[in-house]
Amino acid sequence: MLATPLVVFLLLFLGFPTIVDIVYSLSQVTFETLRSPQLSGLGNYGDVLSDSGFWSACWFSLRFGLLTATAECLIGLGLAIFLSPLLTKHSALMAPLMLPLMVAPAMVGLMYRLVLHEFVGPVPYYLYMLFGNSPAFLDAGTAFWTLCVVETLQWTPFALLLFYTAYQAIPDEVRQAAQIDGASNRQLLTRIELPLMAPTIGVAAFIRFIDGFRVFDNVYTLVGSGPGGSTASLSIYIYEAFFKEGAIGKAIAASILVFMASFAGIVIIGWLAGRRRRAAA
Amino acid sequence: MIRALRWIVYGLAVLALNFPVIVTLVTSFKSGGELSVNPGLWISQPTIENYLQVLTVSDRLNIYGYLANSFIVASIGALLAIILAFPAAYAVARGDFGRKFLMPAIVNLRAVPLIIFAIPIYMMFQWLGLLDTQLGLGLILTIVNLPLSIVVLVNAIADLPIELDEAAKIDGAGTFTIMFRIIRPLVRPALVTCAIFGFITAWNEFLFGLMLTTDKAVPVTVGASFFFAASGGGVQWGLASAVMIVGALPPAILGLLMYRQIGGSMTAGAVKG
Repeated sequence: MLATPLVVFLLLFLGFPTIVDIVYSLSQVTFETLRSPQLSGLGNYGDVLSDSGFWSACWFSLRFGLLTATAECLIGLGLAIFLSPLLTKHSALMAPLMLPLMVAPAMVGLMYRLVLHEFVGPVPYYLYMLFGNSPAFLDAGTAFWTLCVVETLQWTPFALLLFYTAYQAIPDEVRQAAQIDGASNRQLLTRIELPLMAPTIGVAAFIRFIDGFRVFDNVYTLVGSGPGGSTASLSIYIYEAFFKEGAIGKAIAASILVFMASFAGIVIIGWLAGRRRRAAA
Repeated sequence: MIRALRWIVYGLAVLALNFPVIVTLVTSFKSGGELSVNPGLWISQPTIENYLQVLTVSDRLNIYGYLANSFIVASIGALLAIILAFPAAYAVARGDFGRKFLMPAIVNLRAVPLIIFAIPIYMMFQWLGLLDTQLGLGLILTIVNLPLSIVVLVNAIADLPIELDEAAKIDGAGTFTIMFRIIRPLVRPALVTCAIFGFITAWNEFLFGLMLTTDKAVPVTVGASFFFAASGGGVQWGLASAVMIVGALPPAILGLLMYRQIGGSMTAGAVKG
């Protein structure tokens, strides 16, 4: 009863759109015939699945999500553990590390246009000064890696924050007991601390993968879909199919495919987590 | 020795993670003339000319309009999410209601690329006349904020002893009285955290702002990007930098003031979600 407003709201703004999604994905529709879609079977899905742009967007999103999640977790873990004594002593030092999380990713994308600009950007400027040369950061070959670095630098603090909290939550008695038993620092880390932090590491990696997989803002404001569509993530692919090409049916069919893939992903992750929990119990 | 190394690593990490912000801040205090000869990180002749120009209303740029839109949509997005989430969170925390289906559905919303709802919402808004309105964008930002609000509030309410409710019930209090008179004041810190975090998230949102607004309701994240694209013949970098700093300042200030609470809610949202 108390949840009624919430449920109504969700049905209205998510349930209804989902139904519209399903109907339109099976229809022939243009901006002119928005209100009277003609059912046309699975044609839109065929269009999407035979579009090489869709597959390259899938590949981009998957690779981008995996790479950035891994990099963010590794760097975040290293920093959290190495800086932990410093951060415990001066807790205000956490604030500057968290600042990137407060800046809109879209803004960060725009800021990197400045940072990497060949005439007014400091990075090319210093590279020229030091090495007499500066690579192109945003051409077809390099844009992917530049974007990975941009994403990683912005979201490493998220992983760092989670890992620092988990590291702090390990009771000192556990560490002391291990040391009394003669564990070296390395053993303490690999046998005690990291296993205790494993659930947090899993969660952080999952969240960062999801956010990397569905990336839109910073990629879009920095390079758009990139040279030859080389940096189109799935989100950008769907956006451009809808707004630039007006291919509504195709855009929606792609949405449904992404929806089914994420749903499958969630179910599998939930199942794995449940199995882990049952095994632990 | 290792202490010094820690400080060095910390300094480098802060520099690298905040590099785009630092560069933008530095550039915003440079004149166009200086920028063309000195793109480096020092400023030889600082000027506030860029900020004066940004803060002056002109035909080309009305930053106040963008800021007002961002402020209103972020407020709707943060507050409506709490208004919807609080009663539901109470029901979930105090009973079995929703644990099986509602909670997982909402929490998993975090894992779904929201773009898949964007197109039908665009069409729905077209029918409803909500395109390019602050209310329309605010409603969608509510959805963005709901998962974390629910998780944080359910955790906060579940931490309160149920004897509290029972005692109030014996004294004759109804469900609404208990919820608003007893629970609400006790979970105030969680409500404030949700409001601040939701405000920052909504302020920083870009995709729905880009899709659902064109003119009257454009938020500052989208406005800043218009500014880059529209200035044909080349971007005025000093001016563009000042726009970005002004647009990024409100969430950054809120975030730095409240970083402990926000860190806590991020962690809670992640661990329980």
